[in-house]
Amino acid sequence: MKRVYWKKLLPISLAILLLLSGCASSTGTKNSSSQGTNGKVESQPNSGGDLTYALATSPDSLDPARSGLAVAVRAFRTIFDSLVVQAPDNTIKPWLATEWTISDDGKTYTFKLRKDVKFQDGTPFNAEAVKYSYDRILDPKTQAKNAVALLKPYQSSEVIDDYTIKINLATPSTAFLSNLSQAMLGIVSPTAAEKYGDQFGKNPVGTGPYKFVSWADNADIVVGKNKDYHWGPSIVENKDAPYLDKITFKIIPEEATRIGSVQSGQVLAAETVPPQNILSLKKDPNTQLLQVNTIGLPYTLFFNQRRAPWNDVKARKAVQLAVDVNAIVKTLYLDTYSRAWSPLSPGILGYDKSLENGSKLDVKKANQLLDELGLVKGEDGIREKDGKKLTLTYVDGTPNREKRNDIAVMVQQQLKKIGIKVEINITKDIASVVQQKADYDVYGNSQVNSDPNALRAFYHSTTPDQEATVKRLGGGSDPEIDQWLEAGTVETDLAKREELYKKVQQKIIDQAWILPIYVFPYTVAASKTVNGIKFDSLGYPLFNDANIKK
Amino acid sequence: MALANKILLKISSALVSIFGSLILVFFIIYLLPGDPVLSMLDPSTATAETVANLRKELGLDQPIYIQFADYFLNVLHGDFGQSIINSEPVLPKVLEHFPATLALTLTSAIFSIVIGLLFGVLSAIYRNKWIDFIARLIGLFGISMPTFWSGILLILIFSVFLNWFPAMGSDGWKTLVLPSLSLGFVGAGLIIRMVKTSMLEVVNEQFIVTLRAKGLSERVIMYQHALRNALIPAITIIGINIGELMAGTVVIETVFSRQGVGRIVADAIMAKDLPVIQGVVFFSAIVYVIVNLLVDLSYSLIDPRVRRSDQR
Amino acid sequence: MKEIVNVETTLRVPKWTLKKRKTNFSISNLFLYTSTVIVLFIIACAIFPKWIAPFSPTYMNAEDILSKPSANHWFGTDYFGRDVFSLVIYGSQDSLIIGVTSVLIGGIIGGSIGALAGYIGGFVDVILMRVIDILMTIPGILLALAIAAALGPSLFNIVLAVAASAIPGYARVMRGQMMSIKKRKFVAASCSIGTPSWRIFLWHILPNSWSPLLVLGTIGLGTSILIGSGLSFLGLGTIKEIPDWGALLSQGRGYLTVAWWISTFPGLAITLFVLSINIIGDKLRDSFDPKTR
Repeated sequence: MKRVYWKKLLPISLAILLLLSGCASSTGTKNSSSQGTNGKVESQPNSGGDLTYALATSPDSLDPARSGLAVAVRAFRTIFDSLVVQAPDNTIKPWLATEWTISDDGKTYTFKLRKDVKFQDGTPFNAEAVKYSYDRILDPKTQAKNAVALLKPYQSSEVIDDYTIKINLATPSTAFLSNLSQAMLGIVSPTAAEKYGDQFGKNPVGTGPYKFVSWADNADIVVGKNKDYHWGPSIVENKDAPYLDKITFKIIPEEATRIGSVQSGQVLAAETVPPQNILSLKKDPNTQLLQVNTIGLPYTLFFNQRRAPWNDVKARKAVQLAVDVNAIVKTLYLDTYSRAWSPLSPGILGYDKSLENGSKLDVKKANQLLDELGLVKGEDGIREKDGKKLTLTYVDGTPNREKRNDIAVMVQQQLKKIGIKVEINITKDIASVVQQKADYDVYGNSQVNSDPNALRAFYHSTTPDQEATVKRLGGGSDPEIDQWLEAGTVETDLAKREELYKKVQQKIIDQAWILPIYVFPYTVAASKTVNGIKFDSLGYPLFNDANIKK
Repeated sequence: MALANKILLKISSALVSIFGSLILVFFIIYLLPGDPVLSMLDPSTATAETVANLRKELGLDQPIYIQFADYFLNVLHGDFGQSIINSEPVLPKVLEHFPATLALTLTSAIFSIVIGLLFGVLSAIYRNKWIDFIARLIGLFGISMPTFWSGILLILIFSVFLNWFPAMGSDGWKTLVLPSLSLGFVGAGLIIRMVKTSMLEVVNEQFIVTLRAKGLSERVIMYQHALRNALIPAITIIGINIGELMAGTVVIETVFSRQGVGRIVADAIMAKDLPVIQGVVFFSAIVYVIVNLLVDLSYSLIDPRVRRSDQR
Repeated sequence: MKEIVNVETTLRVPKWTLKKRKTNFSISNLFLYTSTVIVLFIIACAIFPKWIAPFSPTYMNAEDILSKPSANHWFGTDYFGRDVFSLVIYGSQDSLIIGVTSVLIGGIIGGSIGALAGYIGGFVDVILMRVIDILMTIPGILLALAIAAALGPSLFNIVLAVAASAIPGYARVMRGQMMSIKKRKFVAASCSIGTPSWRIFLWHILPNSWSPLLVLGTIGLGTSILIGSGLSFLGLGTIKEIPDWGALLSQGRGYLTVAWWISTFPGLAITLFVLSINIIGDKLRDSFDPKTR
């Protein structure tokens, strides 16, 4: 019996050993490949494959003019190209446009366009198409959203010849070129736009490296390789057709499920890794974590200065001194997000570093300030004046994006200490509550943007007419800030521009118009087989170089 | 012939119920606070005129009964309106997601019926033995555990710790296992209790004693006669349970991230997407009524007494 | 009767008729006693949570986030640093309020409709029962969802929604009771001596029909808590400082892989409470049912 036993055991154990060593060596080769946070492309990237990429929320539309969500940009950046591209050092480089000249008064831009570009539906790319795309954004029938603000102060354009276009601005704007680089001002195919009308958002056609394949409602968005592509921007290595056959954007709102799917292999990549998973992912041998800072306006809480007592700087300062943002960042984000100190995020032109670590927690002073306003603490610890309790209506949207609802819960607890009763109102109806009726005391917002001129939309005062349609967030108004912002739009000298924006940031913080909370890092959890995902200057993923190792 | 009449009567009764639920659904949603027109437009470009135009286009400026009449006529043509969020027509969207929900409901129903009947019968036969207690415990837990909790527990044990089954998704048979276990457990509990009680009731009745007196074996009595009679209330429960199962998919599909009708409802409710909510609730009412109609009609097949009374 | 018993004993002795229930007296009564204790404990938690909970449920300890269950924190801490055990204790308040109030409202409204239908009969009965039938075509949770969504997120609206889903059950039972009691001799007797209908209703019929209502109410309490916490779980309640069990469970969902205790213990609380209620309800029903006595 024993002899037979040994005879069988030997070959079996040998086989097992061979298998194990085979596995070990293949993992060995996997680990020996180099992977930076921005996925350096290997010498022989594999062609083909389907990259499944999980998004955190559902895109609203794939029409760049009509979309208002960053998550949609992540999908349609693959479909549309822009006239120019913004390099990591914030300079503007050619893309669909090869060169350009700006008139002395800054109001006329003349672009020369590439002659070898085609739309994904076969129609030629030319000056007509560019004119069409931009005019379309201004056309009220398009119901364009963020694109309108980005395109301003564009007025009109003239087609000089097939590949030359002259663009006229109402007023000069140094931010104009930077805005043109964004996906929301991507060039659309006039033929397709005319054909699909208001359904263009479900049938987008551009000049990008991937073309639209399908979008099952509330489910997957599929884009496929554009074989004819060879006009990639300078910030990617592969300027020709991409390596991947297709990208499937899946929508998985639940954090745990989204990240779990990467670890279980159901998807190859997932965005927005929740802080509690970032640490455990770093230890997982099969996954990698890509992280890049987004630039623009970080997540800040805006005080509605139209309502008392938040029109008084003392009341706002009291809240600023009593909210422990460090605790919030540490508790909710486990220190994986950085704290925001300014209305602008680090990395953007003009960011004022001196504001960092500027405000300190001072509950005593906060209480003092409120006392000075005549708000006396009642029996329940809540302050009141003239019989009215001091309440703060904190409005936020749903779902609980980036744990923003939880910030409200923490703020609620922290403000109890200075006698403010916080009422949290979570609603999907932000449009009417915040923008139409301005029925809030505090509301938070963030914006991904390429140029500090973005501050104008939030911090420059608006006319009563404009207020009638949409009430600007916060409603704060200051003639000095207005002046600086206006000067910043047209200032061409870089150093002077930075100075202007520094002044704006300092005054905004000084006057406590806002409470900056966190800077959002765009995180992607991906299988180690995925290679070559890059990010543009705004933090959006680029898939030109992306490939999957077998 | 009388049977045909009875069936006709039942069908028309079902149709009235469907119509009634349509009215009910319509008016409940009508009570929604918040202006749907405003949430559809982009406030930064909308003027009072655009708002008024859109309201007119959607027919929302008409009095309520006209709105309802329009809706009803459209429904008859198969047009359930469009989603407020992305202008998707409602009915195709619901139908697209229905298979995932159907698969879940059917698998859960099968699971409940199998486990329910098995343990219910065992519990009745071996009354007061340990298997009875196990069955009763399963029954009690089934109706006491919230599905969102049992779902999460199953995910924790079988997905997170053991990694046997996926925690999300709607494709492939593996994704069906945990959700249907969780959902089916409730129905199993109900059925166990119902089968046991009705079998015990039947067993003490006169005719069973007579059968026993005639010399039939215990096994025959239990399985052929008692069980058959107990089936009727059991089937009633199953019929009602299908409705509960469909409603339960709202929670389960959220927990397991399945792309089904329940998920659409949950999302639509958060987004206050009236047409979608109306469409789905109405759709499920139709399915529920049809299922109960079938259950009702099947009584005639199972219980000869009912058949006879139908023919009188 | 006697002959049949003899036939049984001579032919066969079925286990279930002869075996006394007394041999399992201890086990089933053990269940009953444990259930009562659990229910009373949870009610105590709802009434004076301060005496039972070791921490304030809103106290956020930033140093102690997401910690495992330990001697200090029996149920661990959540991602705000709050003690989960205290949260569960305090959370019982809202959960119970939803359950009890919705059963009361649903019971009163449903019972009245059923009583009216059963007592008056005729056309009124047909119409009312039609309405009830229509309500029943929409499964409970779905109806509750639609109503809660229509009315907006708030505790009270969840109560209304859950109550609405419970109405048909009570209406049916009350009607059944009405119709059977109506026919009893003592009612006819009262009627014949000229007692006005409303008096008969209040003093004779109502007191005799409360037993099935009680059973239905007890088991209905369990269902209401399940539906109510389900609605909270889906996010139809407001964000309160002290979340109810359903909301707490929902908060823990994103942390299943790192902190399983946040979702597990509230769910356990719901299950134990509903389980105990059901055991008690079963016992009540058994004691009222002549067949099993």
